[in-house]
Amino acid sequence: MMKTVYVCTDSVTGIFSAVYDAWKAQKAEGECEIALCGFMEQQLFCNYAEVEETEKKAAAVEHMIRKHMGTLAWHDIYQAALSADAGKGDAVLGTCLAARKLKDGKKIMEHLGHPKVRKVFELSRRVGNESHFLVEFIRFRELESGVMYAPITPKSHVLTCIAPHFTDRFPLENWMIHDKTHRAFAVHEARKKWVLVQEAYDETQKAGYNEYFQRLSEKEIEYEELFKSFCKTIAIKERENPVCQRGHLPLWYRPNMVEFS
Amino acid sequence: MRIQESMSVYDKLNILTDAAKYDVACTSSGVSRSNDGTGIGNCKLAGICHSFSSDGRCISLLKILFTNECIYDCKYCINRRSNDVKRASFTPDEICTLMMEFYRRNYIEGLFLSSGVLKSPDYTMELIYATLYKLRHEHNFQGYIHVKAIPGASQELIQRVGFLTDRMSVNLELPTAESLKLLAPNKTRKNILTPMRLVQDGMARNKQEVALYRNSPRFVPAGQSTQMIIGATPETDYQIMQVAESLYQKFELKRVFYSAFVHVNEDTNLPARTDEGPPLLREHRLYQADWLLRYYHFQADELLSEKNPNFNVLFDPKCNWALKHLEEFPVEVNRADYKRLLRVPGIGYKSAGRIVRARRFGNLDFADLKKIGVVLKRALYFITCSGRMMYPTKIEEDYITRNLLNAGEKLPQEVVNMGYRQLSLFDDVRFDADKVIRQSGM
Ligand code: SF4
Repeated sequence: MMKTVYVCTDSVTGIFSAVYDAWKAQKAEGECEIALCGFMEQQLFCNYAEVEETEKKAAAVEHMIRKHMGTLAWHDIYQAALSADAGKGDAVLGTCLAARKLKDGKKIMEHLGHPKVRKVFELSRRVGNESHFLVEFIRFRELESGVMYAPITPKSHVLTCIAPHFTDRFPLENWMIHDKTHRAFAVHEARKKWVLVQEAYDETQKAGYNEYFQRLSEKEIEYEELFKSFCKTIAIKERENPVCQRGHLPLWYRPNMVEFS
Repeated sequence: MRIQESMSVYDKLNILTDAAKYDVACTSSGVSRSNDGTGIGNCKLAGICHSFSSDGRCISLLKILFTNECIYDCKYCINRRSNDVKRASFTPDEICTLMMEFYRRNYIEGLFLSSGVLKSPDYTMELIYATLYKLRHEHNFQGYIHVKAIPGASQELIQRVGFLTDRMSVNLELPTAESLKLLAPNKTRKNILTPMRLVQDGMARNKQEVALYRNSPRFVPAGQSTQMIIGATPETDYQIMQVAESLYQKFELKRVFYSAFVHVNEDTNLPARTDEGPPLLREHRLYQADWLLRYYHFQADELLSEKNPNFNVLFDPKCNWALKHLEEFPVEVNRADYKRLLRVPGIGYKSAGRIVRARRFGNLDFADLKKIGVVLKRALYFITCSGRMMYPTKIEEDYITRNLLNAGEKLPQEVVNMGYRQLSLFDDVRFDADKVIRQSGM
């Protein structure tokens, strides 16, 4: 039988819709695969199926995973789907199919001998680590409008992992986190829930808000200078150790951090 | 003493950060608290670091002194009264503004407020109280606060501050009362231990109240800690570990921090200045041993003794212990209980837990141990799997020592990467009165 490759976009809804289609078609391991648009290698002897992506399909898959594989597995699978890896969709699908073969699907994440499960595990850990780093290292700048604005350039789609933390922490602030890699924002209005917004594709509109992000409040530079000076002063020069510093705070994160600019 | 009138906040921050930087603790852990929706801030149980300074230490809290206009004359301290340094004091409002502005930019996780003694212990503690009160009640700050109790401050003030802060600490400063007398003539063991006891009792009482009335205010919920300076006075590692142990047992401290002595003053009572820098390896070994006390069920006098009072420079304290207690080995991994596994070099407490869980499904072999995270190149001399050792080895101190060293037993990154200075590995760790070496242990 020819393998079916489900093609979807690089998004959680896309990947879960693809899992849904494979599941509805009752495909078994080895008979199906998920590929992401833009990351595809053409293979011979395959059927390509374009996935119609809907929230409803994604929600059904979420429900199925939570019910049969448990909350912890759901957490890993969800995080894996946010990672920056072309094979993530296929790893998610493979893990779901592998779980079906177990008597107790909730044990699936212990099954690290299975390559797809191991991949989900690794991807999830990578996304978890990156989110954790960003919770630490994100820096907000106060704009002229009073909005707190934090640009980030993450590898994975971490906005949904980190926004809840800041929603709890800053309930009375208007803030936004700008994921420049994936052209998306987490936007939080004081006293409300946060929302995920895609960047506009219209160039003039983009130029407009980029200019808006440059307009800082009167006090902003003053506090940045205070903090920079604090970071410099707090170091004990007799203990200077840049290698150790780099081990904890990889260079990769520094371009968006005021104390390193 | 030079006191500057009308100084900018920028200058004050520089002076009072510089004056606070030798305090080691910067953790924001120990309490979990969500925002109630009416203010700013929350707390995460494990704590959050926000940056790292060029010495590789984490920056979690805004670590500052309230004032360095100190009336005391502790000989190791840069702010001692007799030093000619720039002096400054914040106002409570200045600290609040800095705090709120730093916090909402996600620069920091909270405040670590310590202080020199301005006018009197009570006067200073009152100012600290005022600062915390404003932060909690005017700014509705719900993030982390760690505050130092000033030795000699009144019981009532310490009580009041305890309900506003998450962690409180009183610095022990030096391991013994004699050293304290020599180097901190204005402090006594008694006025350090009294507030420590007070906080301990307050926490115990509060626990009962909270159990009865869920909404009663929390008193020092993240517990108390302390720190002592290592290498300014002649105490041995053994003495230091005994002190730490009794602080954990008798005062229920959350943490004891060790601070490698940094030479900032010249004083005949301090060890002479050398160019070796602070005793970082020694500090590191003490932290490792401290870890063994807290998580590995070791006792201080198992690790060291009057005859053998200092840690080994080459091996961590657990490995050192194992080499001296070879009669306890080899340990059979598939049968030994958790506590015995903990004592095997190369098996950490996480691996020990995993071993206990995994072996329920069947006997483990060396390949399994490796996957579990056991460091086999260290553990192999001390364990058997189903009665077999990994390689034929002798259980003999010299033999194992030699092999471990050949396998590249590593010094910790924190110590090795101090780029500018060659480490001399074989210096004596002992405090040697006539040479008065800076006991660097490296
Ligand atoms: S009390 Fe002693 S340690 Fe504290 S600031 Fe004053 S001189 Fe320094």
